[in-house]
Amino acid sequence: MSDKNKKKNKNKAEQERKEDMKRLREERKSSIQRAATMVKTQRKDLKVLMKQMGSESATAPELAQATGMDVAQVIWYLATLKQYGEVVEGAKNGSYFTYKLVVKEPEEAVA
Amino acid sequence: MTDPKKMKKNKEKSEKIGVYICYCGGNISDHVDVEKVREAAEKFPGVAVARTNSFMCSDPGQELIIEDLKNGVVDRVVVASCAPSLHENTFRSAITRAGANPYIYDHANIREQVSWVLHGDKATYKAEKLVAAATGKAGLLEPLDPIRVNARKHATVIGGGIAGLKAARVLADRGLEVVLIEKTPFLGGNAAGLDTVAPLGEQCSALIAELAKGVLEHTAITVLTRSEVVGFNGYVGNYNLQVKTTLSSSSAFDKAAGHVVPFEGDNADTPTEQNVKTGAVVLATGFRSYQPKTGEYGFDDHREVLTLPEFIKQLSEVNCSGDILELNGRKIRAMAVIHCVGSRQIPGIHEEDENGYLNEYCSRTCCSSILHAANTVKEQFPKTNIYDLYRDIRTYGRGQEELYDRAARNRVVFLRFEAGNSPTVSANDDGSDYALKVTIEDGLTFSEEIEVPVDLVVLATGMEAGDVSDLVSMMKLPVGTDKFLQEVHPKLAPVEMSVSGIFLAGTAQAPMNISEACNGAAAAAVKTASLLSKGYLELDPYVAAVDQDLCRGTGACVDACLADGALEMIDAETENGTEKKARVVPALCLGCGACVAVCPTGAIDLKGWSLKQYEAMVDMIVADELIDI
Amino acid sequence: MTDGQTITCDALVVGGGIAGLQSALDLADQDFSVVIIEKDLSIGGKMIRLSKVFPTLDCSSCITTPKMASAAHHKNITIYTWCDLKELTSNKGSVRARVTQKPRYVDQDKCIGCRKCEYSCPVYVPDPEQGGFCATKAIRIPFSNAIPQTAALDPESCMLCGKCEKICPTGAVDYFQKPFDFTIEATTTILSTGFEMTTIEGKPQYGDGKVPNVVTALQMERLLAPHGPYNRVLRPSDGMEPDSIAFVQCAGSRDKSMGIPYCSRFCCMYAIKQAMLLSGALPLADIYIYYMDIRAFGKGYEQFYQTAKAMGIGFIKGKVGRIEEAENGSVAVRFEAQDGTGVTTENHDLVVLSLGVLPDWSPEGICSVSTAEDHFIQTVQPSIGPTLTSRQGIFVAGAASGPKDIVDSISEAGAAAMEASNYIIAQGK
Repeated sequence: MSDKNKKKNKNKAEQERKEDMKRLREERKSSIQRAATMVKTQRKDLKVLMKQMGSESATAPELAQATGMDVAQVIWYLATLKQYGEVVEGAKNGSYFTYKLVVKEPEEAVA
Repeated sequence: MTDPKKMKKNKEKSEKIGVYICYCGGNISDHVDVEKVREAAEKFPGVAVARTNSFMCSDPGQELIIEDLKNGVVDRVVVASCAPSLHENTFRSAITRAGANPYIYDHANIREQVSWVLHGDKATYKAEKLVAAATGKAGLLEPLDPIRVNARKHATVIGGGIAGLKAARVLADRGLEVVLIEKTPFLGGNAAGLDTVAPLGEQCSALIAELAKGVLEHTAITVLTRSEVVGFNGYVGNYNLQVKTTLSSSSAFDKAAGHVVPFEGDNADTPTEQNVKTGAVVLATGFRSYQPKTGEYGFDDHREVLTLPEFIKQLSEVNCSGDILELNGRKIRAMAVIHCVGSRQIPGIHEEDENGYLNEYCSRTCCSSILHAANTVKEQFPKTNIYDLYRDIRTYGRGQEELYDRAARNRVVFLRFEAGNSPTVSANDDGSDYALKVTIEDGLTFSEEIEVPVDLVVLATGMEAGDVSDLVSMMKLPVGTDKFLQEVHPKLAPVEMSVSGIFLAGTAQAPMNISEACNGAAAAAVKTASLLSKGYLELDPYVAAVDQDLCRGTGACVDACLADGALEMIDAETENGTEKKARVVPALCLGCGACVAVCPTGAIDLKGWSLKQYEAMVDMIVADELIDI
Repeated sequence: MTDGQTITCDALVVGGGIAGLQSALDLADQDFSVVIIEKDLSIGGKMIRLSKVFPTLDCSSCITTPKMASAAHHKNITIYTWCDLKELTSNKGSVRARVTQKPRYVDQDKCIGCRKCEYSCPVYVPDPEQGGFCATKAIRIPFSNAIPQTAALDPESCMLCGKCEKICPTGAVDYFQKPFDFTIEATTTILSTGFEMTTIEGKPQYGDGKVPNVVTALQMERLLAPHGPYNRVLRPSDGMEPDSIAFVQCAGSRDKSMGIPYCSRFCCMYAIKQAMLLSGALPLADIYIYYMDIRAFGKGYEQFYQTAKAMGIGFIKGKVGRIEEAENGSVAVRFEAQDGTGVTTENHDLVVLSLGVLPDWSPEGICSVSTAEDHFIQTVQPSIGPTLTSRQGIFVAGAASGPKDIVDSISEAGAAAMEASNYIIAQGK
């Protein structure tokens, strides 16, 4: 097969795949939309939360008060960020543990 | 600490030891600084890599070892985790999967021997030492081949009760020859004394008849009643049992002692002794019913106080009509049943037996059994009042809670007592014609003291371990603190005993009902079948080996040997003519090392546990201290 | 394997929990060929999700993972996860199963379990493996010691952003993966389909799942587990370390009006175990168990219970009538005390419900084995053949035939394997 033909086939395959993806997106329209809305909220929440955390340690109720977020939601995010290594647990303050962002080199940061 | 890397290097030692340290998901890492141990291990002589994982026994954990072996990074493996009894085989099979010899592996127990008994720096220190020792040994480990021995496709079941019958039948169906040995002249065991059984009310004699028929009609099963094991030797796959069969007339077993006689074996009428050659042994030696002490809830002091088995027997023989139960011509207008008699005993509360012993366990079956008996009475004789005095009603199993509900609907009156405040049974002195009165502080009505006049008291007596002391000493069987035979591990090896090829079936292990005993028996049978069905077995090669060049034929090792026949003197042809030399019979060798200690020339050593390996372990344990001096 | 293919084996094991794994191992060790089908993404069942197990307090993973690994690597065992059993028929010494393997949207042969897809995925979803207390991603390895270590994508939460596909080093992500049908022909089958728990929802007395800090026992297992959501025990409403924790027993069992009339059998023991683990993790906390009867019946269980009592765990006899939200995230537990004080209310920081046990699978419409009134699979010789079902050649093991603890399930799994072995032999195979 000539290079030209190969390229042509490749283009054709890419084209077909694009069509397939389009169809799949259409099929899953409602769940994609739901997920996208969820991700939007999560990104906003996480931005607010991480900004508030800055370089300081804080407890979940402190973070909730400062950000106006529901404390249950805050602890859920903290637990999640901890699972993915972005937050570490610090000392206890009263009945609550404090949490702190992990300072990462830019290239190491999780996408 | 001095760098142990600077220690003199031994050229014969592996330089590619891999150390794999387990967090055990916190079980170890909560007390041992695992990463610190890893850092230390990296510096030990010969260690190529040291890695950690939260569960080394998990697939990703095992994969670490396999990858390193396959990539040639390591050629000796040390795993530091839980007791080797749990996962030695797990890691050996991982090493085998990597294409390496499974015996290039040593194990450091840093859980049971470290994190479960020590905390903080001490724990980390000891873990480091154990890992150090293991790496020292690992450097000298050599590939070994397991010892392959023939296994007889033959199993022996000891005990002809429910579990023994079940085990014998399924083993024979599996294609094994089976010998069933029963001490008494009867089959059916303790269950033969029962009438209908909880929770479904099946006729127990029918259950036994069905099981016994399957056994007696099976051509592959030999039943030896009135027989006992009097001698035991050999090794897994090749055990020899000396079995003594006595005359039925000399039997100490009284047919009238509460036992029905569903079957009698077909034994010769002369006492005989025979040798049974077998591959494995299933212990279905059963339980004995708890016998209350004199005065315990009025037992022996009042003839109106019966044990549950006595009551079941009397109830099964009842032949009266009317709506009040009559036992031996006596009307039972009211009766009390008392739970947990001889079970759930608590130190400081209950009286110990003559050996200072308490039955601290729950007997599991008595709650359902006594509720079933109570329902039997109430449904036939509704005007007999029943008071049920209990601590906790344990109707846990399928169909059992229904018995409890039914008892409540049958108007059985439930009264609850605390362990430290047991009810009392005494002669009735209120002027009425009730023989007894029972006094209880009822926890269900704010601990009000209640006195109940009754005609009968039934004690829900529990199960005790059967007396198998002869087998225990003969076969070196482990016994638990509850006196029942002890399995290796309740989940990993629930019917296995620490003596290879000996399995547990039924109530020899713990209290069980018929259904559970049958499951235990079939589970023991499946392990037996797995062990023997191939016709051969592979044993660990940790046995003595003689260096023929060094052996001077003193015979000291043979004298010291603890296993009959494991060491023998032979005439060997050497360049000096015929000389006496020692020879090991590997399958019989226990690997105890008694011979190693007495050999004057150092000609005998243990494979996989050699003196040199021990020395290397000790060297590593004391390494930094010695160098510091 | 290709769509529509037929696989033959000696024994089919339906359900890869602890009972199914044990049955499969006991068959395979005798050189019978075994196929395990599992409805979940990983084998291991309920047990692999637990923290520690009674009465030895071994970590659950330490016992389960080796059995999972031995089954996965056994030369005589083949495992298919993420499967639906569509039909199971038996006829004269053979069984036939129609099975559909659901799409993971990840090629199991290509995936190396590196989790790069998971790290790159932007969608956080509540992690069902962590009781929902923290998030995982829309594409993920289900949990750390899952077998197989293959990622799976949840299409319901996926935006089709393409990040996982792009980052996957082996090109394993396949958004177009389709369900896959195959047939298994075996001589015999063991049903080891396990149990599930009743839900809090639908129990208004216990707050219908709307009272914060009322959790299920399985959620508490995750809070206590080594790789739990917080790596310690915290109150999910605000992350507070609880000072007072209560267990409510028979929350759905032994009470027809609340769900099920029978006893769920192992809740007493796991509540005691969790209480013990809590008192180790939080030595200053007050821990109470509200109960009707403590059913510590197995080997070593009563001693375990007495040890818990000696450790200072409070055992309160009484049926809890109501659970309500109290101030500052506390939970008010109303019960009838039997010391004469009558109806009493106590506040706790965290309340654990021992919910009822239900069968996880119904043969209805799939297989003609009978079930009993309790909906668990019926056994036809419950005393002397507890693993025999109404269909010859189909056996049952573990909680599929009624609630059973791990020890009893493992024992029964061995028994089922023995009966199945003998059935295979009797068919002359």
